[in-house]
Amino acid sequence: MSDFYTPQLDPLHPTRHLKVLDTPFGPRSVYDSVSFCNRCGSCQQACPTYLLTAQETFSPRGRNQLVRLIAEGKLKLANNRALAEQALNTCLLCGRCTQACAGKIPTAEHMLELRRALRSQPLPRLLFKLLSCRTSHPHTFARLVRTGLWLRRIGLLRAARACGLTHLPGLNWLNHADDILPAYPARADRDAWREARVNPPADPTLLYLPSLEAEFFMPSLALAVLTWIRQKHRPLVLANVSSGLFAYVYGDLRQSRRQLRRLILRHGAVQNGTLPLLTDSVDVYLFLRRAPQLFAAWPHWQKKAQQFARHVVFVTDFLSAKAISADKSARVRLDCGALFAREGAPFDQARKILKTHFKKNFVECLYKDADVPAFGYNFVRGNLGEKICMSAVQSIARTQTGTVFTLSGLSALELNFYLKRFYPQAQADHFARLNG
Amino acid sequence: MKIPSAALRQLQKAAGKENVLTDDISLSLYAYDCSLSRTRPDALINLPSEDSLAPILRVLHKYRIPFVARAAATNHAGSCTALNGGVILNTAGLNRILQINTQEGYALVQPGVITGDLQDRLAPLGFFYAPDPASQRVSTLGGNLAQNASGARCMKYGGTIDHVLEADFVLPDGTEMHFSRRDPGPDWIGLLAGSEGTLGMIKRMKVKILPAAKHIKTFLVTFPSLADSVQTVSDLAAQGIIPRCVEAMDQVTTRAVEEFAHAGYPTDAQALLILELDGSPAQIAQDEKQLEDICLKNHAQQFIPAKTEAERQKLWFGRRAAYAAMARLAPNVMVGDGTVPRSELPRALQKVRHILDEHHIYASLLFHAGDGNFHPQIVFDERNKPDTIRVTRALKEILEACVDCGGTVSGEHGVGVEKRAVMAYQYDTPTLDLFAHIKQAADPLDLANPLKLIPLDYASKARPALPPEPSVRPLAQALADRRQAHAPILIVGENTRLRTNTFHTLSTRPLNRVLEIDKTNYTATAEAGVTLKELFEALQQSSVFCALPHGHGTLGGAFASGCMPDFYPHVLGVEALLPDGSYVRYGGKLMKNAAGYHLTRLFAGSQGTLGLVTQLTFKIFAHPIRPVHVYPFVPGRVNPLWHALKTRLDPEDLFPALPGEPYV
Repeated sequence: MSDFYTPQLDPLHPTRHLKVLDTPFGPRSVYDSVSFCNRCGSCQQACPTYLLTAQETFSPRGRNQLVRLIAEGKLKLANNRALAEQALNTCLLCGRCTQACAGKIPTAEHMLELRRALRSQPLPRLLFKLLSCRTSHPHTFARLVRTGLWLRRIGLLRAARACGLTHLPGLNWLNHADDILPAYPARADRDAWREARVNPPADPTLLYLPSLEAEFFMPSLALAVLTWIRQKHRPLVLANVSSGLFAYVYGDLRQSRRQLRRLILRHGAVQNGTLPLLTDSVDVYLFLRRAPQLFAAWPHWQKKAQQFARHVVFVTDFLSAKAISADKSARVRLDCGALFAREGAPFDQARKILKTHFKKNFVECLYKDADVPAFGYNFVRGNLGEKICMSAVQSIARTQTGTVFTLSGLSALELNFYLKRFYPQAQADHFARLNG
Repeated sequence: MKIPSAALRQLQKAAGKENVLTDDISLSLYAYDCSLSRTRPDALINLPSEDSLAPILRVLHKYRIPFVARAAATNHAGSCTALNGGVILNTAGLNRILQINTQEGYALVQPGVITGDLQDRLAPLGFFYAPDPASQRVSTLGGNLAQNASGARCMKYGGTIDHVLEADFVLPDGTEMHFSRRDPGPDWIGLLAGSEGTLGMIKRMKVKILPAAKHIKTFLVTFPSLADSVQTVSDLAAQGIIPRCVEAMDQVTTRAVEEFAHAGYPTDAQALLILELDGSPAQIAQDEKQLEDICLKNHAQQFIPAKTEAERQKLWFGRRAAYAAMARLAPNVMVGDGTVPRSELPRALQKVRHILDEHHIYASLLFHAGDGNFHPQIVFDERNKPDTIRVTRALKEILEACVDCGGTVSGEHGVGVEKRAVMAYQYDTPTLDLFAHIKQAADPLDLANPLKLIPLDYASKARPALPPEPSVRPLAQALADRRQAHAPILIVGENTRLRTNTFHTLSTRPLNRVLEIDKTNYTATAEAGVTLKELFEALQQSSVFCALPHGHGTLGGAFASGCMPDFYPHVLGVEALLPDGSYVRYGGKLMKNAAGYHLTRLFAGSQGTLGLVTQLTFKIFAHPIRPVHVYPFVPGRVNPLWHALKTRLDPEDLFPALPGEPYV
């Protein structure tokens, strides 16, 4: 397909972009990939934003056509930047469209590429700065988060909300953060988690890369993961290490590459890179599995990334239905909210485990059932995110589900907030906490 | 064209300011559908409610702004691109299922309801909506009616045209109308089906729902040739076994699917059929035995019944993967659509393969063997201009080959702009003139989806008009005389229903021949003046049956009086003499025809006011079939559409209105 001219979205800054996208049918340039959209519309009804708006501008087909028109120079951005940003920043990057598409077109990747070309930053500035600082100053970041949590614990955030301070421009995200974050972790959990980090095993058999939420807000999740894997492994916790996903989604691709290179090197430094690298967030897992596509212009690194990606594993690889002690009579379902994809090994395995254990009480979702938006979407598009979460809650209520298992901690936090408000009979938890 | 600011203001008032968009991005993203056609509209209106539709159309009519209805835009024909600019009316937001009545068997829906969503809502209630276009998960019910979409279940249940009971419709000038299947007069819903939004817009629909089959059994059968597979389907129909679904694919397709989806299809067979039976377990068991015998008689290589639900799903998974198997190969998949009489299918498919090979085009070939409808799926890259030209040329040749085999250029996808030119190859000038009259009657300003469906400047390109059969000529002459004398005339058959004693009648009785009983396609062709008694005698001699009841009157009367609306789906072709003396031919032995307006439905129940029906082609069966219900004869009520059509087709009122119902 590359016989044709391939106009770049951003020809002056090739390193800010992916050279090729890894698709199930081989590597393709962004332009080729977007051109594979036949406009058949199979994706429309899979897209949560299209279902809410019934407008082409907020649909995968529309978004792909937008990228194509811009790439072909048929649509000038000068007068349309705001609308283009609205179309692309409303995308959940959830990959439901890719699942529905016969050609498996990676719309989420196209959106990120356009976002990079437009230098569009959908996150509130302060939140972006704070989260970016995790890479550059990890210790400062950890201290800031802990201080923030402590201030929240003593009621300062509540007071700020009551005074209306958090409604000031740029601080709105604090409201949502306060809504979804769990109570301050119990001392026992904090101690056990600290213990796991500061006393690494001498000869680890597995590397554990905890997600941001597991590390700072839900130590119980990290401890549940450790409990599972300690049955067979001696895990080494890579504490406060960024995977590069945040920069990949919200920041600069070059920074994402840097972080990923660092992680690859760190993985390679332990037993020659032969150990599995475990993560508890399906978003991070899917990102790390596709790490090689970030290095298509650097064959040496691409080779290393391919080797690294092969070792990335998810919690579902360690769980078996036999070891589950959860009450079988509860009605459960799986929330497949994730970045980039909604099908593949982790989803199949999780579904299989739940089906084996809960049998008829496992609720199969309809293809249109909403999932919770992943990876901070609600901080980007609060209004739309809330409506999508409400659709998910409606679907949970309709099927009278008791527990919803998610594949990332943040999704569980988001969903729990809405469930508590609108359907308290149900609760959400991370899949790794199947046994509580 | 630029939309006047005054018009924009009024549109904003009618639809809400936030729903009228004119920005570059919105317009660019409403410039396409699933075809190659791309044209930017001048404005986009997201319809906020059903009630806003008529006021919006009135504003558009006032300012003479063209408009195009668009919902999911999944059609392959370019039916919802704004060729003349103007406004796109997005009906996707009108997506509420208003009522489901299982007792009376209907669902009341807005036009933007997704067909698959209705199925999902009906399934727990033990009901289903029969039309199942392949795109049903994303296409809308309104779109399905506008395109007259059908699917795998069409052979048994018919297309969308037969499953809409009532429709609220808005003409391009904003006139609101309500059509019902039970209303006397032409089958207006049938006329709307496949009209591709060129006559106005659908506001609300009442669709028929049916109790879901509790027992379904699926079979995979392979054959050494396409002809054997098609003959099998004909034999099944002859035996009165109408499978719930009959899907077929040729060897190239089977191999492509197997490579991609691993559905377990044998790749050595030239043709493969997926057949599905439904009914009671005893009925299925009985049909299965007969099915197997018929398949084996036609040299079936393998006859594999799906033993479990998982096996059944796997068989269908392969069929559904046929599109995906092609979509991964190149950026574009052009899905062609042609229909031929069932008996012509092997010859047509052979021609299609030849054309594809000649143009060095890789394509899979799927066909609904029961309907003679086939879909070549051609892969190409639209960015490569020579490639695209080659593909469009090949597709044109395929459609022409289809017409040469006695077929039509569209079975279920519609005409739009992609097949507009080939319409001239299929129809003669009088028939295309009649299409144009219908369009102009409903939409004299040519505002609703302009430049679609009817070929441009067709007079020089259309198929030459053949003179009517010799038996029709005396009637044509009589008609010409009356026209010259400006004397109206009442068309009667045996005068059983009208019971008129006026002298000014023209009887169709001289047209009393049963022209053909085709036991391959299971169709009969007879002249309109044949009495039902004569018809039954002829059918009996050939040991075949039809859905008409025994009784008095002529075939033409049974069709045009409006007393037997359930007979309309059985009528496949019609020939008629128009008041101006022109002779139109439409349809034939085709089980599906989505090319142009449904003329059979226009003349059905028209009570002799629009033209003189001279000949009909209809379905016959090998086994007795329950006759259709006969309703009492009621003169049709005038509506604005009938009035406009009558005025245009018969300005001198040669075929006068029925007593007490003045049209002009």
